[in-house]
Formats: sequence, structure tokens, C-alpha cells
Amino acid sequence: MADETHSSELAKRIGPQLGADRMRNPTALEANAARVIFEPASVDEICEVVRMCETDRITLAPIGAARTLSQIRRSPVAVGISLKRLSRIVAYEPDDMTVVAEAGLTVSDFNAIAAASRQRLPVDPPNPQVTTLGSLIGASHAGPLRLSEGTARDLLIGIRFVGHGGRVIHGGGRVVKNVAGYDLMKVMGGAFGTLGIITEATFKVRPIPPQYRLAILPYERAADAFGAASALNFALPMSHVEILSPSLGARLDAPNKFLLMTGFSGTSLEIGYQAEKIRELLGDAGEILDVQPSRERYEMLRDFDWTAMPLAAQIATRPAGLERALNACGVEFRAHAGSGVAQMFVGTTPTTSDARKIVARWREIAHAERGHLRVLAAADVVRNDLEMFDQPNEGALRLMRRLKSTFDPASIFNPACFVAGI
Amino acid sequence: MNSLDPPLLDELRAILGIEAIVSRATELKVYECDGWTVEKSSPDILLMPRSTAELSAVMAALDRRAIAYVPRGAGTGLSGGCLPLNAPAMICTSKMNRIVEIDYDNRRVEVESGVVNLHVTNAVKARGYFYAPDPSSQVACTIGGNIAENSGGPHTLKYGVTTNHVLGLEVVLPDGEIVELGGPTEERCGYDLVGAVVGAEGTTGIVTRATLRLMREPENHRTLLASFPDVDSATRAVSLIIASGILPGALEMMDQLITRAVEDAFHVGLPADAGAVLIIELDGLEAGLTASADAVATMAQSCGASAVKLARDEAERALLWKARKRAFGAVGRLAPNYATQDGVVPRTCLPQILRVISEVSRRYDLRIGNVFHAGDGNLHPIILYDERVPGQVRRAIDAGRDILKACIEMGGSLTGEHGIGVEKIGEMPLLFSPDDLRVMTELRHVFDPKGRSNPGKVIPEPGACVEVAAPRRQVPI
Repeated sequence: MADETHSSELAKRIGPQLGADRMRNPTALEANAARVIFEPASVDEICEVVRMCETDRITLAPIGAARTLSQIRRSPVAVGISLKRLSRIVAYEPDDMTVVAEAGLTVSDFNAIAAASRQRLPVDPPNPQVTTLGSLIGASHAGPLRLSEGTARDLLIGIRFVGHGGRVIHGGGRVVKNVAGYDLMKVMGGAFGTLGIITEATFKVRPIPPQYRLAILPYERAADAFGAASALNFALPMSHVEILSPSLGARLDAPNKFLLMTGFSGTSLEIGYQAEKIRELLGDAGEILDVQPSRERYEMLRDFDWTAMPLAAQIATRPAGLERALNACGVEFRAHAGSGVAQMFVGTTPTTSDARKIVARWREIAHAERGHLRVLAAADVVRNDLEMFDQPNEGALRLMRRLKSTFDPASIFNPACFVAGI
Repeated sequence: MNSLDPPLLDELRAILGIEAIVSRATELKVYECDGWTVEKSSPDILLMPRSTAELSAVMAALDRRAIAYVPRGAGTGLSGGCLPLNAPAMICTSKMNRIVEIDYDNRRVEVESGVVNLHVTNAVKARGYFYAPDPSSQVACTIGGNIAENSGGPHTLKYGVTTNHVLGLEVVLPDGEIVELGGPTEERCGYDLVGAVVGAEGTTGIVTRATLRLMREPENHRTLLASFPDVDSATRAVSLIIASGILPGALEMMDQLITRAVEDAFHVGLPADAGAVLIIELDGLEAGLTASADAVATMAQSCGASAVKLARDEAERALLWKARKRAFGAVGRLAPNYATQDGVVPRTCLPQILRVISEVSRRYDLRIGNVFHAGDGNLHPIILYDERVPGQVRRAIDAGRDILKACIEMGGSLTGEHGIGVEKIGEMPLLFSPDDLRVMTELRHVFDPKGRSNPGKVIPEPGACVEVAAPRRQVPI
């Protein structure tokens, strides 16, 4: 209730100061994450609002497309910050293979421009057309290409954010190799907006391979699919090695089996060689798609929407333990096989106590593989009873609490949403 | 030994035994500097724990008496990162040198932090794997030192630097507490504290163990040596190769001064008359390599290369890399002293910065050689001087500073892989605002609230003198 009052009061104050058009009501999806939405037109305006919020202890969070926060916040923050108006490319130098852009830019919008220089930011979260650079970094989104290209963590070389006191802080720089100062990119990456509002990012970009092809191979047993994935991953520099459980495979109009969906790329010579090698290793069971179908199926593979699931989670284990863990969980999944990461879900809404038990069991299985599990999405009725993030060990958690209280002394940045209630 | 009272010494002896403690001034002289030899200062005591438990007990004992320490690996750093500054104790990790576990199934290796970089690759190469970061000092430098400095190397153009290859760490905090950060998984649980520790130059505690990523050896390599009439034409070739979409495993340049020094020292067949040479290594699938190598050779020739030579076998390839990685050693023959810089510029600014470097060389009347990671825009100008000649140290320092300032003006950075240490601490305000530096200091205090771990490094203290030529210097200016 207090937050509601704060939101409307802040809206009243911001209107006259920054312009009435800066504040709006949240959409249905955003309403789970924030009570009002602030759309700043400049970084200075963010600084101003952060200072106001700090003074009055009003909670706020960067909201992106609200897909992540709407699924993991138990109650909305007072103010959601949308960087829709801060979505310009500041500097893109194809010959340097770097881009500086405002955090509201989407991955797709940048990649559409970079394509003219045969380059891309090779991070492929679901629906990159709505994934902003800010959320790519803050929520650690990634996709199948993480195997060959790494994640935002590997490509982010500079960052600018508004921290406590409304101060604009920058770390890193514009050059691809740089060890001057502490690595604030790592600190802000995967922090889910709990340490400040990312406003600008500098990434390394990569060349788009001359050709890309997708091979789809069906297996009756998960163990065979993972075995094949591991053999491929050993023999060839695959772009991605994904395994889908049967019901997900069926959504791609493919056989109702465990599907190994593996991509490879290069010049036509390299494509020919890899296709041959895949056949040699795995036999003739599956098919290697042509250029256009490869692209289409890859996009379907990339774009599975976990936020629509009644209960979905992401498990991370050592790569060789992933199949064992998924098997023990006994659920539908999309696995990044070489990376030891998978998204898994149940298709029907569980009761509150069932949801708790399911997540607890999944976590136990993850821990047995020295891994951890994070809830990606949960239906409204069960969300309040779930711990979304796994708990780090005690020593690490103590440091994390110190980091949070140092970077956010007023505890206003997306509070009570991250690990152990941070 | 002034700050170390007898009860503390007794306690340290009880923890480590006398054989793991060095306290005689003559023996401590070996530890007075790293590869940044411009400034020197010996610790009062050197402690060499053999295990995490010993190291933790040592740090707790120092913490109880409010004594600061400086961590040290093999002492091959190039920015004075392990120079003792207001830190009486030096803690060296070189005796913690076990490879704990090699896990091929998961492409991970767990090592103690005193393991030598090259020993990791040596341990796994028979099975077709390697550890990617490969600094020139890799025969001697330790993984712990690499983590502190976030070290790179020639092959980081394609494979990334140390931070891209570290998944988990065991760290002893300055009060002696042992913490596990990260782990064997690619996703993290909570804040990325591993990412905060890597590159923190030993100011966040001492790393005792690390879980590293192993990479699969590429199917094959092609290593080319291209000779150019001058550095300008060589840099044009670098741009052309990168713009073509070919991403070499490594793309290195040496100018004439360095090429000649290396050839004189090692006789590897480098063209002594060339104005600059590029070592271009392509790696990947055999099926594509010949075509890529031909394309690269054509591009080099179109930029004026007088000769492009392909290493015929592994022995020739190894020889080229030996030449490149020993370039710094070869330079030792040219002058009694040298200082290596580590500036970075956007790749497209390479021709401009090389012109600046030759102007600086003329202005200060000092020879400067260039050997660098051209693909990354990471320069290593080597400034030759003689500390016995009055004024030369001063000129060498000023020349280096001018080069770094030019790098920053071009949108670059002070350091690509050597770290800030003490060498570039005075230049940090050129790159970061007071607010940036304040937040970085706050981050440091999360790990080290009392400022005991490697004091005086990375961040200039507010109001402190940032002049490099400080009274601690023992060499003549």
C-alpha cells in the first residue's frame, strides 16, 4: 500500500519536473513488476529519479520488456524504468568490431544494422526482438550459440550505469582488450537490476559465418541423444548442440522423440566437410536441412517462450551431469548440451504445495551434480511461495550481501527479488 | 623486520616452519620487484605457504596485528603489481603448485594457484586440449598471477582472456576466511564474484585454487609470416584481414627493431630487412584452412607484403612462436634496461598510434621497439634506456606516459593485459572519473574492508601523490 502511495506521489512530482509524458500506467504484463512506468528521455532524468527515490525510499527496477521481472517478482516495485527512449547506437565501428549502444536497444535492432557489415552480436536469447541490451546483461539471457560464441559476459567490454546517489558510473572501455580498473561489467552482469540501472553497454561483435546449417537427429532415448551430442562436440567445433525432449520436438513438427538439433557453420568447404563428418559419426537417421529451413528451425529452437509456462526453471550442472539431472527430474526440457545448462518445465499449473515440492526436488538433483537451479517462470498462484534463486554458499553470500548494501545503501534497486532475498 | 614483532614471527614459524619463511635482507632482495624494474622495494618477510590452510592461518595472524601483505606468484608481472608498498609481508603462492583434478568429460581442470600456466596445457595436450590464455611469460608465470592480472597472450584474439576461462575460485580473504566463489558450472548463482576477483590485482584476497575451462585443440593450424616494407602497410593488412570476416587465432606484429633483435638472438630466419612482420595464425577445420591461408596471403600482398611464408611443419611453427614470445628477452641485448608499455587503441587507430610512438621516440631520444597483439589493438612499445645515464629513467617514464595518454585520446586504454599495478596508477584518473574510482574502491572494500591486501595498487588514493617517480625508487633517475 505504501508503495502504491509512493508511486502516485512520485508520478505527481516527476510530471511537472520532467514532463508528464515520462510516466505511464503499466501494461498487464508490466503490472506484475511495477506500479508505474517511467520512460526517461535522458540519463540525467534517471539520475534525478534515482535521487528522489533514494530520499524517499521508493523502490525501482529496470524493466526491459518485463518478461523476466513479471515472472520473478512477488510484488511489484513502485517504479519500473523503461529505457524505450534510450535505444540509440552511440558508436558502431565495424572495422573495430565493437559497438557502444544505449541499454534500451534490442538485440534484433542492433543485429539488423550490423548485418550490413556481415557482423552480429552473437547472443541469442528467446525473442531477441524484445530483448534489450540492458536485460541481456542484467538477467544473463543467452541461447544455443553460447556454446561457440559465449554469453554477454564474454562479449561485454564496457558499461555505464546509474548507481546510488544518482551517480553515473562507467567501467571498462571501448577496446576489445582492457584490464584497467575493476571489472564492473561482471559485477552488473546477472545482477538483475539490484545494483543500479544499466544505461549503456559496449560489446565486442563477431563476424557472421558465411553459411549456417542445422542437423536434426531423432533418438528414442535421452541417453543416446546426449551421447551423440558429446561425440559431435568432441569431434567438431559445433555452433550449438541442443537437445529437445519429445513434446518440444513435436512443436517443431518433428518426430515425437528426443531431438538433437545441432548447428554448424563456415565456408562451403567447411560446411561440406562437417556434414560428411556428422553422417560418419551419427549415421543416416536424421536430416541436414537446407539454408532457409535451417534458419527457420533455428529461430523456433531459439524462441521457446518459457514465460508462458506454469512452472519453468533453468538448471546448470557440469556438462557431463546434465543428462543424469534431467533424467532424474523427469520433465520436458531444452538442453544446451555442451554447456551444462537446460530450461525445463511442467505443462500444467501445480498446486502451491506441489510447486514448492517440485522446485525443492529439482534443486536437490541440481545440487547432487554440483549445480544449481533458478525458477524462470511461475504462475501467479504459486509464485509467492517459491524461492526463485538458489542459495549461494555462506561465505559467498556474505560477500554478496556486502556488495548489495555497498552499491545500494537505501535498498531501492529491485529489492527482495534476487538470491537469498537480496 | 621493524614491523614484525617476535611473537608474530614465532606464530608464523609455527604455522609454516622456518623453511617456508625468508627474512634475511640479502635473500629478500630477489623479491624487490617484478618485471617492472623501474621501482624496487623489498618486503620485510616472505612467506611461502604450501596449502590453503597454511595460507589462511598466515593471513589471520597478519590480520590480528593489522599488517598488510602483497601477494606474489612468479613475479613475472610487468606493472609492479607485487611491489611491496606499505606492506611488510609478501605471501608467495609458488609452493601451491598441484594440478588437483583434470576432468576431460566436463572440460575443466582444477589447479592450485601456484601452478605454472604452461604446465596446465602440458598436462592435457596429449588428449587434444589446451588452456587458452598464453602470456609470453607462460613458461614461468602462475595461474594465480594470471587471475590477478586477467592475463592475455597472442591467442586471446580468438579465445578470450583469463576471465573468460575461469569458472570457480577458492579465495582466502584478508582476514583469513576461506570462500568458494563460482563453481564448475557455466551459469552463476548470485553475483559474479569470480568476475570481480579476476583482474583485481590481488586486492581482494589471495586466490588459492581455480577451476579453469579447457578448450579442444583446433583440427589444424596454418601459421604465416608476412614481411612488409613498413608498419603502415602491415597495419593495413591487419584491418583488411579482420574486415574480411576471417578471425585468426592470433595476429601479431613486430617492427624492424624487434625483428632484428629477435633474429640476432635466436636465428629463426626472420627477415632482418623488413620494416615490420606479421605472424598470422589461422586455426580451425582443415577443410577451410588452405583457402583461408591463401586469402590472407593475397590480402597481405595487396597491402605491399614482400614475402609471405607458411610454416611448413610444427617445428617451424614452434620456432616462430618461440621468436615472438622471447622478443622481450631479445631486447635485453639492445640496452641495459627497458620498460614495456601495454596501451590499447581501437584497431583502426593502429597506424596513428604507431606514428605517435615514433614521434615520442624522437622527442625523448630513446629507441622504442614495437611488438604487439595487432588483432586486438594491444600495443607493447618497448622503451630502451640505460639507468646509469642521468635522466634516462625519467625520460623513459615520461615517454611511456605520453604514449598512454595518446592511447586514451584515441578511445583506448592504459592496459590491455599487464594491469595497472603501480606503473599506471597515476594515469587512472585520465580514464575514470572520481565517481568511477570511488565505486571501484567501494567494490574493493567489499572484499577487503581494512585495506590490507596489496595496498597502493590499482586505485590512486584520494589526495595522494600520484607521481610515479616517488622516493621509494632505488634506481637512479
